[in-house]
Amino acid sequence: MTQGEFEAIIADISKRIDGEISWGEDEDHSPAVEFRAEISSEAGYPLFVRGSYNSEARKLSYVLIHRGEGRIYGLCLGIDHHNPRCDHVGDRHKHRWSEGQRDKQAYVPPDITAPVDDPVAAWTQFCAEARITHNGMLHLALSASGGQPVF
Amino acid sequence: MLSPCEQIAQTMGGLFSCSAVNGYTRIRTPYLYPDGDVIDLFLRQEEGEATLTDLGETLRWLRMQSIAQRRSPRQNKLIRDACLNHGVELFRGMLMARVKPSDDLSSAVTRLAQAALRVSDVWFTMRTRVFESITDEVEGFLDERHMRFDRGETLPGRSGRTWTVDFHIRHPRRSALMCVLSTASRAAARGIAEHVTSEWHDLSHLKLGPEALAFISLFDDSLDVWNPEDFRLVGELSEVAFWSKPDELVERLVA
Repeated sequence: MTQGEFEAIIADISKRIDGEISWGEDEDHSPAVEFRAEISSEAGYPLFVRGSYNSEARKLSYVLIHRGEGRIYGLCLGIDHHNPRCDHVGDRHKHRWSEGQRDKQAYVPPDITAPVDDPVAAWTQFCAEARITHNGMLHLALSASGGQPVF
Repeated sequence: MLSPCEQIAQTMGGLFSCSAVNGYTRIRTPYLYPDGDVIDLFLRQEEGEATLTDLGETLRWLRMQSIAQRRSPRQNKLIRDACLNHGVELFRGMLMARVKPSDDLSSAVTRLAQAALRVSDVWFTMRTRVFESITDEVEGFLDERHMRFDRGETLPGRSGRTWTVDFHIRHPRRSALMCVLSTASRAAARGIAEHVTSEWHDLSHLKLGPEALAFISLFDDSLDVWNPEDFRLVGELSEVAFWSKPDELVERLVA
């Protein structure tokens, strides 16, 4: 994928997700809950979104995955990050794909203001910046452990 | 002037920072996952013993990079091996280590952080899958089902051209040649289907005789890139199978 192709994908406002999204247990039954949603677009980009929320560790991620390239865009809250040049970005950052560094480079997104424990608000802000229209709602994220100790 | 050993003794600890998070002591390490995200560990004291864990964050990080729904058997094997090597327990997706009062906490932190690094390196196997094909994944599947096979066999066609088939699989009931068709590009899909059709046509003499081989074309249908015409094209000379239906593939192989 070229930089131009990536920019075209992000700029495409026809990207959309239809239907409601619910969180579920992951394959390991870990403390985190997650979802996966297909993205359709006029150009037919092979994209989907994964969301993951670990209320125990207070970490939240939404990522845009291209089936040919892997993760190309992602929001991380509560997760600290260092860029390849060693600059410290902090625990509220976005990964953005580039030809040179793939998805290793992150930046602080000024438009993401939702706290880590409000996944629905963060989802709305993530979709707005990634130009994804969600025709439906994201349900509240419940703890995978149901409030019980995780170990 | 401090010696290197004195410098390490005085400054190494400063690379780790601690804070209270949700009833745990969060230990922010200087170690990074392959994309630059920082590895955090969590410590909880309970009944005189402490448990150190990543709270499932390492495997969560892995999942967030993956196009696959689940990890492959081979990837799980690598993860179990990393845990065994570092004396770490894998429980509900969490890397865990007990820290007894007599244990050295810094040693446990280093051990668990190293295990998290090793486990996150499974990412490199995913990266290969993205760039190359799903043949590694298919190989892992055949291994898991105890199928005997040869991978990447080269066979001469009737035209004199040499072809490489992805798998030559032998079962007591019959043997089969299998080509895996995989691409992320709709534009490339037809070309791949035509190439495999040519291959089957040129190798068609192997479908004859007492040791006749079955021809199977396995489509990676995790991507919506194929047209019905592609299936029809290769289906004229081979049996069509889909990676989304692995049990049906096995039925074909043992039919």
